Amino acid sequence: MSHMEWVYALLLTPFATALLAFFSRGLGAAARRAATLFHLLGITLMLVLSLGTAFAVLADGPISAAGGWFYIDGLAAIFLALIGVVGFLTGLYSIGYMRHEVDNGEISVPTLCTYYGFFNLFLCTMLLAVTANNIIMMWVAIEATTLGSTFLVGIYGQRSSLEAAWKYVIICTVGVAFGLFGTVLVYSNATSVLADPSGAVFWTVLLGHAGQLDPALMRIAFVFVLIGFGTKAGLFPMHAWLPDAHSEAPSPVSALLSAALLNCALLVIIRYYIIVSKTLGPAFPRMLLLAFGIMSIAVAALFIIVQRDMKRLLAYSSVENMGLIALSIGLGGPLGVLAALLHVINHSLAKALLFCGSGNILLKYGTRDMDAIKGVARVAPLTALLMGAGALALGGMPPFNIFISEFMVVTAGIHSGHPWLMLVTLLLLTLVLAGLVRMVARTLLGPSPDAVARGELGVLTLLPMVLLLAMMLTLGVSMPRPVAAALDSAARIVLDQGDAPLAAGAAAPWIKTTAKPVPTAAPAAGL
Amino acid sequence: MTATLIVNNLAGLLFVTSLLVMGVSRPTASAVFYSLQSLVLVLIFVTLAATLGAGELYLWAASAFVTKVVLVPVIMYRALGKLQDPAASRPLIGPTGLCLAAAVIAVLSYLAVSTVKLAVVAELKPALAVSLGHFFLGLLCIVSQRNILKQIFGYCLMENGAHLTLALMANRAPELVEIGIATDAIFAVVIMTLVARQIFRTLQTLDVKQLTALKG
Repeated sequence: MSHMEWVYALLLTPFATALLAFFSRGLGAAARRAATLFHLLGITLMLVLSLGTAFAVLADGPISAAGGWFYIDGLAAIFLALIGVVGFLTGLYSIGYMRHEVDNGEISVPTLCTYYGFFNLFLCTMLLAVTANNIIMMWVAIEATTLGSTFLVGIYGQRSSLEAAWKYVIICTVGVAFGLFGTVLVYSNATSVLADPSGAVFWTVLLGHAGQLDPALMRIAFVFVLIGFGTKAGLFPMHAWLPDAHSEAPSPVSALLSAALLNCALLVIIRYYIIVSKTLGPAFPRMLLLAFGIMSIAVAALFIIVQRDMKRLLAYSSVENMGLIALSIGLGGPLGVLAALLHVINHSLAKALLFCGSGNILLKYGTRDMDAIKGVARVAPLTALLMGAGALALGGMPPFNIFISEFMVVTAGIHSGHPWLMLVTLLLLTLVLAGLVRMVARTLLGPSPDAVARGELGVLTLLPMVLLLAMMLTLGVSMPRPVAAALDSAARIVLDQGDAPLAAGAAAPWIKTTAKPVPTAAPAAGL
Repeated sequence: MTATLIVNNLAGLLFVTSLLVMGVSRPTASAVFYSLQSLVLVLIFVTLAATLGAGELYLWAASAFVTKVVLVPVIMYRALGKLQDPAASRPLIGPTGLCLAAAVIAVLSYLAVSTVKLAVVAELKPALAVSLGHFFLGLLCIVSQRNILKQIFGYCLMENGAHLTLALMANRAPELVEIGIATDAIFAVVIMTLVARQIFRTLQTLDVKQLTALKG
């Protein structure tokens, strides 16, 4: 198969899986087994295809498909691989989690088929969002992610979950409508200056002609884009949907929302950041990212420290981490960008782990209230161990991966002349750590209630967590070569440096080990 | 010249129909006025197509007629007719406040657009101001209404605003792009309507003030 065919197969796999899962509803007694089997096959194939595509990009340079409508460079490859890994692991976890929910009568078998259908459709829309080169299709895909996941958020049909689904769909569609305005501004700006206006819709073409675009319009457009896609990425003050949707959705969906969806919107912001930095210079977009970033961290940290609901705490942690990534890009320079991209990976792994863990606890205790959850270590020791390690890792404790990226963010901040801002960030991160330690201490330790039966839920709800923690530990102690190469390639794209090496001294410690630079220019046949 | 005058005046009419969508109390009446507004939008597309010689816009007009004048209003009319919650019908802002807010939005949009220096829209600035203002009018509808069904209409108004901006500034975009945006908009309305119905069935209310279980 050629690289282009891989991309088509990658996009079609979750779509076809979704259709099969929906149709399984009509299979009567075999519906449950059939939908689960289709789902398992679908997510496995998607994992193989997404990782295969990402490796192909690292080896041979960017892939352009369907007349330039799809474009996967080193930057997209990271996000693509993350959707693959997180989508597979949360999909696997879903099988164990949903088995419990169906057995206990929380959801019916037809609802289970719908769940698997929308789960895969959601994956499909996210894959579309990160592979899009057509900026209007990028918007369409991000909007489609909302539509694909609304039912997943409200699937329990209870008062609170319906309220969360309503807020989610209204706030995100309205927010993303701002993104459409920004997109249209950029597009129409480009049609009026390009010799061949038909290319104005492609990100690669816009990047090539960024210098010709009107700075005043691009400034307004970036504000619209940041508000629009920032809503979806969970940046303060547009984050209002996030704690509700993340906490009310079934835990595997919470994990997918936090670890994959937020990244997709972030990638779109980064794509515009690259163009706008070239048109206007980086000062204006960086200032906005710094402002939104630090505000998100500050507000989220305060909510984390007073939170009683375990999943809401984790949801606010997503706001905090998205803020940290925005802040890091805003700091600029090779180190800031590398730190941001590494943090995208690290946060996704950690948050997927913790939402899965919170799911196990929720199934055991039937509540998310941290005042009621006690002694998880006695009830389900392995879940408690994984959850505890994950929470400390998320708080930035070595030897896990988040420590490295947060350390890099602070170094980048000091390097770029923002010592006070870094001091404030560190204080806020300490608050977050305190909130996470408080969660671990209150829920995992202590005597367990007699009403809660002891024992783990099963292999499928533990295996994904073990794999996630293993990956976090690996990234924390020794950066695997392909990841380092991907980060290096992606950072050069964000900095618009072409094939030039990253500035010496400011690069991450593992950069020296990179085998060979990954080409960032489009192939001759592409755009 | 006359054609641009028609476009600008029709765009003005969009503003009036928006106020009607927001102002009437029954959601079914809003659906009728929304259909009327979409018809105005279709007329703008047709006029623009003739003026600018942009053949794509005829296709846009046709697809907008099918989706926005017929399909979405019919879906809404049928789905919303059964949902009644008089308690939610009182808006947070009365008609006078609504008109004043709309006037402020119109002035601000006009000022914002006056700085744009794109040759494509030199003669259509009033229409462009309306398209931007219309977007914010939809936002006003969402924040000023207690009835969640009215919030769906607010989204529809925003979407019409964005659609007009697209037609004015990006009318040479590939047809597939327009289809993508229209499909998203229809699905958004369908999904919001389904969630609203489920909320009504489970909670027996359409009042956004009753949706306060989740806080902090």
